[in-house]
Amino acid sequence: MIKNIYILFVFMVLLNCKNDAPDNGKLNVVTTTSMITDLVKNIGGDQINLQGLMGSGVDPHLYKASEGDVSKLANADLIFYNGLHLEGKLVEVFEKMQSQNINTIALADVIDKNTLIGSDYFASNYDPHVWFNIDYFKQFANQVTQVLSKKDPANSELYIKNEKLYLTKLIHLENKISSVIEALPEEQRILVTAHDAFNYFGKNYGFEVVGLQGLSTATEAGVQDVQKLAAFIIEKNVKAIFVESSVPKRTIEALQAAVKSKNHDVSIGGTLYSDALGNAGTIEGTYIGMFEYNVNTIVNALK
Amino acid sequence: MSSAQIEIQLIASLVAIACAIPGTFLVLRKMAMISDAISHSILPGIVIGFFITHDLNSPILILLAALTGIITVILVEYIQKTGLVKEDTAIGLVFPALFSIGVILIAKNANDVHLDVDAVLLGELAFAPFDRLMISGVDVGPKSLWIIGSILLITVSLLFAFFKELKVSTFDKGLAASLGFSPAIIHYGLMSVSSITTVGAFDAVGAILVVALMIAPAATAYLLTTDLKKMLGLAIGFGMFSAIAGYWVAHWLDASIAGSITTVLGLLFFLVYLFAPSKGVIAVLYKEKQQRIEVSLLTFLLHLKNHNEEVERHVNHLNEHINWQKVRSKTVLELALKNNMIIINDSIVSLTEKGDEFTSLAIDYIITNEDSQIEGMKDDFFLFRG
Repeated sequence: MIKNIYILFVFMVLLNCKNDAPDNGKLNVVTTTSMITDLVKNIGGDQINLQGLMGSGVDPHLYKASEGDVSKLANADLIFYNGLHLEGKLVEVFEKMQSQNINTIALADVIDKNTLIGSDYFASNYDPHVWFNIDYFKQFANQVTQVLSKKDPANSELYIKNEKLYLTKLIHLENKISSVIEALPEEQRILVTAHDAFNYFGKNYGFEVVGLQGLSTATEAGVQDVQKLAAFIIEKNVKAIFVESSVPKRTIEALQAAVKSKNHDVSIGGTLYSDALGNAGTIEGTYIGMFEYNVNTIVNALK
Repeated sequence: MSSAQIEIQLIASLVAIACAIPGTFLVLRKMAMISDAISHSILPGIVIGFFITHDLNSPILILLAALTGIITVILVEYIQKTGLVKEDTAIGLVFPALFSIGVILIAKNANDVHLDVDAVLLGELAFAPFDRLMISGVDVGPKSLWIIGSILLITVSLLFAFFKELKVSTFDKGLAASLGFSPAIIHYGLMSVSSITTVGAFDAVGAILVVALMIAPAATAYLLTTDLKKMLGLAIGFGMFSAIAGYWVAHWLDASIAGSITTVLGLLFFLVYLFAPSKGVIAVLYKEKQQRIEVSLLTFLLHLKNHNEEVERHVNHLNEHINWQKVRSKTVLELALKNNMIIINDSIVSLTEKGDEFTSLAIDYIITNEDSQIEGMKDDFFLFRG
């Protein structure tokens, strides 16, 4: 019996030897969040083999690696990630990989730390949801272009051209959302969401941002948090609160119920994309589309 | 297969062996849940380590975690020895207490740091090949492979050195004490090894997988054998099989490796639970059916022995007299015939010499209240079982 198991075991190991490394001379680039995947796709185009680890609707704090990710990481020439502890334990892995000649680039490192929103208690902890500041995202684009050009000089002209094109689109996006948000009176600019992902967005466009849970999606909201926030919503007469695609609806629905129990009505204004983009192929599946969708959803619900 | 894939399977297999060895003894001692308890109770060790070093990546945190693991087993043993509560209750009392000490320490002093068991200790098998050990600039393989390898080496040497002591103290504490080695020392030794294995393996592959690899292979092996050596061998075999098979299930589904290995472990246990030769569900059902028929047979033979009159022994009268359904009486009659216990002349049933001897012996056993002896006697008399 024991012997049979061992024979089977050796057999299985032998049987499963196969090779699967795509190699057609292009750079193998791996990205983490869907925002970064979209950015690198815009700049690298067809000149790179791009593989994103986290799909739509995946919470980067709680991301679990699958077997396929092992080969992606093992074959990568370049890895772009957000950093600032957004990817949890993965950030540590990337930092270690850096010492083994695999280029891992934390895009948030290019941002001037003094402009970041920090933790009240610990100086070196920053809010990692930096992509909601379009200026930061432009810096990301620049960094990606520089790294790609250096690693693959033959195509550097193309990368620079793609970057210019993308930056124009981002400027266009900025203008568009500014005009949409202007339509919303300043006292109505209160954004209540499941977790604190929209601080940079709020800072830029004059929204007061309140998250039911803290920065990390791993913590849960307490009963007291819900009651306090419900009182706040009634006091400020907030019309709508928002669900996020990568955080369970439950907590926001609990908040809505708490407000309703005090004879005040608040609607759920829609689903915002916070830590991940929408499904690939849809408009919300790109960074620009996601941003526009979020702003339209927020403004329409609060108007 | 890429080198990363081979390394993951190698690490998973080594963890499987390192867990199966203490796991076997834990299952036999009904302490299987200690590994799950340790996964929680190490929190205060980690927190205190962080307060000392202010560094989440310091090895001191892991050392203190292992130490808290040992404290856990000592406390469990102490509470259990009072005899007031059972093993599992003692485990359930100790680990929430230690865990909450950790939680309170965090809440009071470090509420804003991402400080929990996950952040410091719980590894992910998929990333293990990317955390490499460098000795003076030379890459010598994944770090967790070395950690698990060292733990395994210690475990195996201790197993060979103290196999007899472990065996005796597991099955007969009194005998162990009278032979001159303290069962308590062996117990603490085993628990310390379990604790260190658990903490080391947590760092390499994550909590769920360690708990599963400690318990499931040993529990599966326990269904198949009662020989300690065979049980150890089977547990190691099942663990390694699940580690490799689980990896390829994950490859095929593009899913979490730890999750797939745990699933394979569960399926394996379920299959063995159903089909094990003597303790399996199907075997037990079959045996129960067999015994029911054999009890009927004995009743029938006793009836024959008690009655000399031919009316009582007529084939057609059996249904009325012993009040059996037709089908059953036919089965019993056939079984008795096949075993040469009876002969039938002109529809009259009589005991043979062998049948008479069997029945007399059975009566003796029933009178002296030694019913269990009948089961052993069946092997001598029966050519065919029910």
